[in-house]
Amino acid sequence: MVDLRRSWRAADRLGRRRALTAPAKAGALVRLLLDRFPDLAPGLWTDEDTVEVVIEGERNVALLGALRDDPELNFFFLADAAAVDYGPTERFEVVYHLYSDRHPAWLRVRARVNRADPHVPTITGLWEGAMFHEREMFDMMGIVFDGNRDLRRIYMSPDYRSFPQRKDFLLPDDAADSSAAGVRPLERPETWDLTRLSDELAPGVITHAEAEAEVKP
Amino acid sequence: MTSEVKIPDPLDLDREEEARLRQVAGLPPAKTAVGEYAGFESVGLPERPPQTEREREVYTLEEGEMLVNMGPQHPSTHGVMRLVVKVRGEVVTDIDPVLGYLHRGIEKLCEEATYTTVLTYVDPMDYLSTMHNEHAPAIAFEKLFGVTAPRRAEYIRALVVELNRVFSHSLMMGFLALDMGGITPILYGFINRDEIVDMLSAISGQRMLFNFFRVGGVNWDTNDEFLSRLGTWRSHVLKNVEMSERVITDNEVFRSRTIGMGTLSGRDAIALGVTGPNLRASGVAFDVRKAHPYSIYPELEFEVITQPGGDSNARYLQRIAEIKQSIHLIDQIVDKMPHGAVQAQVPGIIRPKPGRAYAAIESPRGLYSVYAISDGGPNPYRFRMRDPSFISLQAIPKLMPGRLIADTMAVMASFDPVMGGVDK
Repeated sequence: MVDLRRSWRAADRLGRRRALTAPAKAGALVRLLLDRFPDLAPGLWTDEDTVEVVIEGERNVALLGALRDDPELNFFFLADAAAVDYGPTERFEVVYHLYSDRHPAWLRVRARVNRADPHVPTITGLWEGAMFHEREMFDMMGIVFDGNRDLRRIYMSPDYRSFPQRKDFLLPDDAADSSAAGVRPLERPETWDLTRLSDELAPGVITHAEAEAEVKP
Repeated sequence: MTSEVKIPDPLDLDREEEARLRQVAGLPPAKTAVGEYAGFESVGLPERPPQTEREREVYTLEEGEMLVNMGPQHPSTHGVMRLVVKVRGEVVTDIDPVLGYLHRGIEKLCEEATYTTVLTYVDPMDYLSTMHNEHAPAIAFEKLFGVTAPRRAEYIRALVVELNRVFSHSLMMGFLALDMGGITPILYGFINRDEIVDMLSAISGQRMLFNFFRVGGVNWDTNDEFLSRLGTWRSHVLKNVEMSERVITDNEVFRSRTIGMGTLSGRDAIALGVTGPNLRASGVAFDVRKAHPYSIYPELEFEVITQPGGDSNARYLQRIAEIKQSIHLIDQIVDKMPHGAVQAQVPGIIRPKPGRAYAAIESPRGLYSVYAISDGGPNPYRFRMRDPSFISLQAIPKLMPGRLIADTMAVMASFDPVMGGVDK
């Protein structure tokens, strides 16, 4: 006879493995989403407590507005909005996490953005609180939110020119560079030259010099 | 013999400089303030053209208005933050928060760190809720790696997290009174905090940045010192809370400066992304512990507390109610705590399968969430933290116009932001 208590203890010690495929906790939500937006089916994916859909960036206001205003979906709360950089040859994604009191799952909307010309419509018309999220994304990733009336840097100083959370913004103390050189390169001011990234400036960003040139003919 | 050298008036120099800057910026010439405010018109004007519509709006002064810098080293900004306050006399007409003085780039640093060391980087973010800062990444990484913490570890996590909530809220009560000129409550607040901090340092080894959570469990099991301190603390904590309450709640000055001050409706709070006690004080029953239960919260009995008011006083009363609720939860956790291991066996360097995980928890300031992406390597490809006080701060410029400048700090303290979390 198997000693159940003992095997549970062993499982506790080893850490129970979670099932990698999700149980259908959010089955009703998935059915409802497919009913309302059949074209979302290709990007639909579920986790144990998240349902994920993928859209093109320009569609964000229409979809998020529909998700918010539909009484059966009722995703009235924007929990998070963040940008992800999938590398210099790939794309950006603006990821929204929504909360609804009708469904036991978070809804994640991944909006794809062209990395060469990163423009997305703003959602500050839907949720005023998206302002700081969008300012942070602009500051860190250089994504321009069209229609946002206060899109300026929020953490870095206004004359800063790079976008630090992009994947091609390398930290100077990258493991490949710091071969036991004593002082970490990050602490040496001569490595702080970031002008090599100056051509990374996203369209729509006005630098200090350009702005001065504009007003001084 | 004195020479007849004319020393230029510094205020005249300021005016010339301002006129030049306004010309560069394309702004209309400044209207001169009259009377006792003469000469202060140029404070805070940036040396560059306004970049956005909103910035132009803030930095364009009407007749009789001036800009005042509050911060970055203002003692009641709860960290290092600057508020550019536009005032007409003593009445606030607009506020522009300027952030970034504490920005350390923790998200970027975490992308260079292994999953285990990420849990040390997130500690100094919101330094009054360190345990919560570690909780969300731990849950997210466990989802990514496909491992669950043993049940005893989950109970210990819930215990330390609720203890952390109690001391964070006690400090908020003290800071709120301090920002209105009351010195005594902050002393009680720190006495309450230090008892809990001693307790948590007994279990974790650190006093402030605990570094207690691990992927797949916690670092240490409970020990005798922790349990004895917990028992001593529990025997008199309610008395202490009531003592602080008696000092503050019915105080006439406190009541007149909080009731009806900074009233935020539930609808506005949701639109602004305000969460946690501040949202519940506006009457919205949203608590992540109930909305998307994590850890062992489904096994505990508690109700989501709300207040009808939505003003500073409601936010304060909400904190007191939550302290008592957390003590109630701690009783249940200690009663139900099972025996067993506190750490699942995970390798030193964790390499999860490629995937994404989102974990949200209820921190003392609201919804704190982590979105982690793994590419199969030893460190997260993307590590995103949503800090509640960063988002809640947006409510301040909405609430303050029309109020006195002295109430700005009082309303801000009732939102209880921590700049370490705001600036990441």
